[in-house]
Amino acid sequence: MEMGDMKLEVQLKLQAYLDGELPDGEAQELAEYVARDADARALLTELKHTRAAVADYEADIKLPESREFYWSKIRREIQRLESVEPAAKPASLFLTLRRLLVPAGALAVLAIGVLITTQQISSQKVLNALETETAQADVFTYRDYDSGTTLVWLSYPAENSLADFSPTDTYQ
Amino acid sequence: MTMTLSRTFPPSWLVVLPLLLLGWRLPAQVTELGQGAEQKFEVQLIWATNDKKSPNPKHKPVAPEIRKKLDELPLKWENYFEVNRKQFVMAKGGRSKADLSDKCSVEIKDLEGNQVEVTLFDKNGKAVFGRKQPLPQGEILLLSGNAPDKTAWFVAVKPTK
Repeated sequence: MEMGDMKLEVQLKLQAYLDGELPDGEAQELAEYVARDADARALLTELKHTRAAVADYEADIKLPESREFYWSKIRREIQRLESVEPAAKPASLFLTLRRLLVPAGALAVLAIGVLITTQQISSQKVLNALETETAQADVFTYRDYDSGTTLVWLSYPAENSLADFSPTDTYQ
Repeated sequence: MTMTLSRTFPPSWLVVLPLLLLGWRLPAQVTELGQGAEQKFEVQLIWATNDKKSPNPKHKPVAPEIRKKLDELPLKWENYFEVNRKQFVMAKGGRSKADLSDKCSVEIKDLEGNQVEVTLFDKNGKAVFGRKQPLPQGEILLLSGNAPDKTAWFVAVKPTK
């Protein structure tokens, strides 16, 4: 049987045999099988060489502390990284400005509302004043909005307590 | 559900627009409030005629500013002469009275919100007319009436600084 054709089960048993993990009876059977089968012998030899090479390589690595302490350091570092909260991103200037502008904007809306209301009340007062004015007799009011001029004409006779007798008598 | 900041906050223009509007309107309000405790008005007595000259040599043509406003009104007279001019200074909310001639005097009362109350008195000291209206800077109130020989008189009231 070619090594490539060797069943995986036999290959695993060879590995277990090499590691001394097989029961005595089964180990004896496998030893007999290896004695009969050249491929099995070749594979077992190769496994022995591989283990020897790995063992030699591992033997060159020396930990600075004991194995338990070394792995406990790794475990603690992993736990530390998992427990650390992601650092909060520093707030950008735009967001900070916006947080300030929102309440300021609300106050501005409120102030504008107060101003508009006040002006409407004031306009209403003016309207009332004009209405009162038109109620007076013998008075004509002309308003030029472009020039901001209000002309009130009092339709009294030319000769009256304000202007009588002569053209200049009104003001002399 | 987590909402992003941009969804939680109103749009930027909704925040900035009120501030801009307030910044535009507030200075005028502050100026009105901070105009001080003094109100000033200038009152002129004006005679209107079609004659080129006044029989009174003390009379002089009205100032160009007043003349311009008179020309914009539907009046028939060609010439306007300044007969008298008085300055009224009063505390905010106060009143002031002055004679413009022997037969005419005027009282001005400063009211809230740029309003004034102007009262005209005859030679007997009787109030013959009163009017209440807003009179902000730049505007003018003209009280007027007939005078003999198809002439007219005007009392021009305007706020000054």
